[in-house]
Amino acid sequence: MTRFQSDDSPDTHRFLGVVYALCAFAILLALIASTGCGPMLSAQSPAPPGRSARLDAVNGFWGLKSYRVELSEGVALALTCYEGGPCEKLVVTSDDPKIAEVHAASLGTLEPAGLVNQQTASAVVLVGKSTGTTKLHVRTRSGRKREVAVTIIAPPRPSPSAAVAR
Amino acid sequence: MAPLAIGTHFYPDVSAEIAGTSTPALRLESASPDVLTVEDGVLVARKSGASAVLISTDDGSVVDFVHVWVAPATKITLARRDGDRIDGAIGLAVGEDVTLVPTLWNGAQKLSGDGGAAWTIDGDAVTVLRDGSSDRRRFRARAPGKTTVRVGNGETTTSVEIEVVQ
Repeated sequence: MTRFQSDDSPDTHRFLGVVYALCAFAILLALIASTGCGPMLSAQSPAPPGRSARLDAVNGFWGLKSYRVELSEGVALALTCYEGGPCEKLVVTSDDPKIAEVHAASLGTLEPAGLVNQQTASAVVLVGKSTGTTKLHVRTRSGRKREVAVTIIAPPRPSPSAAVAR
Repeated sequence: MAPLAIGTHFYPDVSAEIAGTSTPALRLESASPDVLTVEDGVLVARKSGASAVLISTDDGSVVDFVHVWVAPATKITLARRDGDRIDGAIGLAVGEDVTLVPTLWNGAQKLSGDGGAAWTIDGDAVTVLRDGSSDRRRFRARAPGKTTVRVGNGETTTSVEIEVVQ
């Protein structure tokens, strides 16, 4: 007669309890990350040499408050939006398109959506048109919003050491 | 792609590799038209600097962008059509010809772009023939004597002397 043995020792129960707790915590973190408190942005392109194209998060006590972007005049920066997956019905508007222009973008990449799915990245391209400051307003289907403070800086003047003698 | 010399044109061959689709109809847009303009799909270098060139579909969705640099020519070199660099006077017998190809430089950096060379000749020992290229010139020796050929881009010029013998 075959007999199935089970290990009912207290150590095994404690170990399983820790594993279940860790799994629950990981799922909770994933849910917090996926639902979040609003759309999260991520830079997807580098700055050209000697120019600026950076996205920084502005954090407060409760976490992410907003974003700021520093971009050189004439430079473009690709941004993706994530809100538990690529942002749905992403709309980004610029207060002053003469300073910073926003274009819808199709980057042709997939991003994780939830635990098992993937979806096409939701992206925009920001272009520095002229020196100054303005704001972007990011809205998604969830109704949550983000503000992005944008500063467009002038391109650097060639330094005397970089000047080429004729 | 090398920087474009001021005053030159560049004819880009645009294609996009997007998973699952052939290349859609694309159009170009300059982020900084004072540095670089797009005229009927041709990039025209206007002044020193860098400008993003956005590559978009017909509906305005950006699929990619590239930053293009524009620089002034600080040196011009001449070469024969086979690539041999010319560093001194050229001797021709009547009836012979030579084709000269200018290359624009900014210091050690070779510049790209077409149509940036302005040719002048001083003397009537040679006849200038065009072969359809905007930059190359073909010189045919027509009578004994000397002719000075000058080629310039902006304030930068170079010259070569052609001596024709019987």
